[in-house]
Amino acid sequence: MIKVEGLYHSYTKDEKYAVKNANFEVEKGEVFGFLGPSGAGKSTTQGILTGLLQLQTGKVNVAGYDIRKLDRRMFNKIGMSFEQSNVYGKLTALENLEFYRKLFDVPTNDPKELLKIVGLEHVANKRAIEFSKGMKHRLTFVRSMLNNPELWFLDEPTTGLDPAIASQIKDIVKAKNDEGTTVFLTTHNMYVADELCNRVAFIIDGDIKLIDSPRNLKLQYGEKLVEVEYRVSDTLKKEKLSLIDEKDRLHLNEIINTGQVELMHTKEATLEEIFIKVTGRGLE
Amino acid sequence: MRLLYNFLKDMKLSSKSFYFYVELAMALIMVFVLLFVVPENFDRQQTFYVHMNLEGVVADKVEEVLEGSDDNYILLDSREAVEAALEKERSSAGVSISMEGQKVIYDFILQGYEDEKFKNIIETVVKSEFAVKTPDYNRVTEIKVLDENAEKLNDRLNMLPIILTLNATFMGLFIIASYIFLDKDEGTIKALAVTPGYIWEYLLGKVGVIMVTGLASGFIVLIPLAGAKAHYIHFIPLLIMTNLFGSALGLFIASFFDTMAKAMGWLYGTIITLGFASISYYMPAFSPLVIRLLPSYPMLFAYREILLDKPDLSLVYMNVGLFGVLSVILFLFANGRYKKTLTV
Repeated sequence: MIKVEGLYHSYTKDEKYAVKNANFEVEKGEVFGFLGPSGAGKSTTQGILTGLLQLQTGKVNVAGYDIRKLDRRMFNKIGMSFEQSNVYGKLTALENLEFYRKLFDVPTNDPKELLKIVGLEHVANKRAIEFSKGMKHRLTFVRSMLNNPELWFLDEPTTGLDPAIASQIKDIVKAKNDEGTTVFLTTHNMYVADELCNRVAFIIDGDIKLIDSPRNLKLQYGEKLVEVEYRVSDTLKKEKLSLIDEKDRLHLNEIINTGQVELMHTKEATLEEIFIKVTGRGLE
Repeated sequence: MRLLYNFLKDMKLSSKSFYFYVELAMALIMVFVLLFVVPENFDRQQTFYVHMNLEGVVADKVEEVLEGSDDNYILLDSREAVEAALEKERSSAGVSISMEGQKVIYDFILQGYEDEKFKNIIETVVKSEFAVKTPDYNRVTEIKVLDENAEKLNDRLNMLPIILTLNATFMGLFIIASYIFLDKDEGTIKALAVTPGYIWEYLLGKVGVIMVTGLASGFIVLIPLAGAKAHYIHFIPLLIMTNLFGSALGLFIASFFDTMAKAMGWLYGTIITLGFASISYYMPAFSPLVIRLLPSYPMLFAYREILLDKPDLSLVYMNVGLFGVLSVILFLFANGRYKKTLTV
């Protein structure tokens, strides 16, 4: 669905690259996460893929279209949800969606249905300027679904939202992906990436350091440990036991058999820990 | 169809914004000022205090000239009385006319602020009005009017071309730039850029809104002030093309900037520069090449033709064609620039 080869981009048109020598592919039906801290080059890459920034060096193919010879018909196939809400404040939620749907040459979703999906049906006729930040974000998000995109670009889709709405947004992304939509997700939120992505790319200083699935990364970089909390008489005990060491495995078995276990967690590494291990930098 | 949807959306947005009403409000203010403050013709009469120490035929002839003059002449008894009257009325002038042998002496008493041009006019008036009436005067100058049917507009109507040029035509230059920067601020341009719509459709939608307000403000001014005298059928294409030119120029200038604050200086400077043409419009004797090259210069005279009984239609339609072509060129340049800069 996306093929990028030797992509470079410099805002100053010199050798200070915001993105340097990026190479990656996104398969149809995949949720691909672009993970990195602010200023890493995530939004620049996404900007080039969506035609918002001019391609300077490299080859980029999106949804079967060569970005160098941008064909406006490509936008019938893609959807883009921006990190910053960008709706017409003086128009109502419904007017916003009604206007954008008319710009597509393909069948579009019913704006009222879309507003219902994100819980905005009760404010359909309210001007967007009166919306809270979260409501504006949901309107921006749902606008990107108007044309039933085959390829869906999501820029920080849950940033700044309360947990309930963020969960709702993630459920929608999962559902659309189940229907076959390819998702290109840009985020610095490791939990969102972990939950949604089939594969993630770690980008820092414009450089893609690694691309793999969260599962493989956890297996590769995580420690095979179990943290267990159990009760002996009235005393609560807490231990970290290796799943590889035979002695620890037998001890864990013994604890389980006594039936005194209160809490038990596998201690695989989080994506953030792996990111720090790989890049030497945090995600914030 | 996308162009129509863009236009309708922009009409809806602009009708809810302050900028949409600025041009219309300005037009209404102009109408009010011209109808109730500005007279149809300015009073050009100047008061002349005259002391005459003449006798015989010469005195009769001078009195004959004074009686037939458009200016307001007041005869006083002495030169001192003339000077005292001038002290009281600073806009007046005075003259003491006396004879020395066979020579008539015109002793003009001025306020001191008059320029050489005014003094030359006085000299010419003396020669053409007074001297020719004196016995034995030999006229060697012959004045021929080439176009005896040349039509003059009254002072109020004569101001209309400037108002139409600056308000209905060039006000859009500011407003279209402000619409673009508002969209940039709101980020909605980026959302449009990821739809199949073209930049030119987006820009033309805005041009359409400016044209609607331009036409509305043009008619608001023209109908009450010119009434049936204006040639509306020729006014409409002229206003459309000049308004289009104003919008295209505004788009072009705005394409070099990312905020209204940065663009303001250039937009303001452009309006002021275009306004210089009105100096030559009022004083045709002052029309250096640099002013004649301003687009507003031919525009002013084309609007003037619309108000004449027998308009020079070739001048009107030459302007329609000229501004049509210039608008297309500027719009194409602006479109090219926005393709690269609008979403950055």
